[in-house]
Amino acid sequence: MTTAGEPWQRLDVRLVYQALIRVALSLPLGVVGVTVGDDPVWPLVAGSCAGVLGALSTLVTWRTTRFRITGEQVEMHTGWLARRHRIVARDRIRTVDVSARLLQRVLRLRTVHIGSGDPGASFDLNGLRERQAAGLQLELMPGATPDRDPGEGTAIARFRHAWIPLNVISPWSVFAVAGPVFALHWALRPFGVDLFGAARGLLGGPLPGWAVAVALVVAYLAGTAVRAGAFIVENWGFTLLRDGGALVTRRGLLTTRTVQRADRRIRGIALDEPLLWRWLQLTRTRVLSTGQGAGGEAAVSDILPRTRLAEARELAPRILPDGARPLEAVLRRHPRGALTRRLGLALYGPALASGAGLLFTLSGAIPGRWWLLPLALIPVTVPLAVVAYRSLGHTVSGDYVVVRTGVFHRRTVALQRRAVIGWTASQSIFQRWGGRMTVGIPTGAGARHYEAPDMSVRQAVTFLTETAGALGPESP
Amino acid sequence: MLWRTIQAILWGAGVLGVLTAIYGYAEVTRPWIGPVLLVAGVLYAVNITIMPTWRYRVHRWEATDDAVYALTGWLTRRWQVVPVSRIQSIDTEIGPLQRRLGLATISVTTASSEGKITIEGVGTATAEEAVDRLRRITAATAGDAT
Repeated sequence: MTTAGEPWQRLDVRLVYQALIRVALSLPLGVVGVTVGDDPVWPLVAGSCAGVLGALSTLVTWRTTRFRITGEQVEMHTGWLARRHRIVARDRIRTVDVSARLLQRVLRLRTVHIGSGDPGASFDLNGLRERQAAGLQLELMPGATPDRDPGEGTAIARFRHAWIPLNVISPWSVFAVAGPVFALHWALRPFGVDLFGAARGLLGGPLPGWAVAVALVVAYLAGTAVRAGAFIVENWGFTLLRDGGALVTRRGLLTTRTVQRADRRIRGIALDEPLLWRWLQLTRTRVLSTGQGAGGEAAVSDILPRTRLAEARELAPRILPDGARPLEAVLRRHPRGALTRRLGLALYGPALASGAGLLFTLSGAIPGRWWLLPLALIPVTVPLAVVAYRSLGHTVSGDYVVVRTGVFHRRTVALQRRAVIGWTASQSIFQRWGGRMTVGIPTGAGARHYEAPDMSVRQAVTFLTETAGALGPESP
Repeated sequence: MLWRTIQAILWGAGVLGVLTAIYGYAEVTRPWIGPVLLVAGVLYAVNITIMPTWRYRVHRWEATDDAVYALTGWLTRRWQVVPVSRIQSIDTEIGPLQRRLGLATISVTTASSEGKITIEGVGTATAEEAVDRLRRITAATAGDAT
């Protein structure tokens, strides 16, 4: 606390201009909204009010915000009616983002977001000059200097064009286009423009099936293109490197984002393979670190964009501070009983749902034979049960506990043994008959709790004694 | 056990009471609530008669110099172990009903909410003694919760 006399800084004056421009833009909109027809056009009026209120709140922010960066911490005063003074230690800071919206870009203003892995302890400095923002980013994260090219030894991964298709494919791409189209439709409704009606008119009569199919395909392709663009803009110049005891990521074209994770907080690594793209071996990679909310800010835990499994496995030992390769360990299979249990669940789950439906049918709440519907799910649930069984696995490899589970997302988690802070083992009545148990590992890192369902009791005992090797008074 | 029975009765009466009230007053909902009421009635009957005794026979706990152990549950049994070096805080809690019966709840918290151990229905004197001892041990053990 030697730098208590550090002067407080304020946001830039141009923020006022920004607010004024916003008022100038939104007022006419509101006037148009009130005068254009007989009835006021409510979306326009609401938009205009929001614009003016937003501008006012910007002015208040400009008046009241003060911040300073001392040797150990970042401090910020803000608020008019509710005053807030926030202090975060500098070594807790994980991310520094510099971004700008259109109007800010014109005025050469930047928004700096300083994140500490927990949304409750983050700063938003909205409205700094370009150079001030860059300086701040540099000061808080010296490892992220763009000019200083790191040696080949420290750079772990760089942006690769092969990543683009992997990160773009998604069954939801349609919505990237369909969403805005619907929004446009509803926005134009008040002016008497009916987009869907116009389309119907073009084709003459009600939409035939092939037109809908063509529209879907076009929407899917366009949506994919939009996602590709977004991915490239977000990850442009992606670099992951190790610098002075921390993993540093920097990326982004319009919004430049730097993230750093101290090595001493890293407790493991996790892979996540979505079922739908298993044939592509598509994988998300995360690091598990402590001192971060259980949900965490995704940007902090996601260390790489989606990559192929082989690539993720190859990079993992370079990402982990100790260079171990726990993700390649051979996993122990779980007993047959685990498969039986999953198959059973796949059968009696829908059966129970049907039973409940039948009860309601008898009481007259549901008409007809709808109660049979859940039984139609069985052809889907049975293969899923097999998938679930096949993804089960666990082992202890060196300093790491490795656990794999999941149906729609197969998650492989490698957690350092020193991060294990206890054990839970639970046995339902059926597991007791089958001699199986579910072992849970509470931890202070990542998702806080990882589970290995349905080990045989002998496996569980072996697993527990092996992990307990790290137990004792020695601190991590 | 008596405490748990009373609790189960209170809960059962509360939930069933509300459902029956809705059943009685709002006729539209009858086809929906009827079956629910039927199933819930059976479940609560089991809950009140069997569950407390069963739980009482299963539940065990122990605090040694190295770790706190607990076994809870009835249909599903759950063993929990928390090493003393990873304990973050120890709480005792006594509710109004528990005070009448001279019972207390001890909870041992760690950095993970899933790793938390809750020991319910311990005699007040035993609880005090155990918590005191744990406090001394944790203070003497060098350790970090993460």
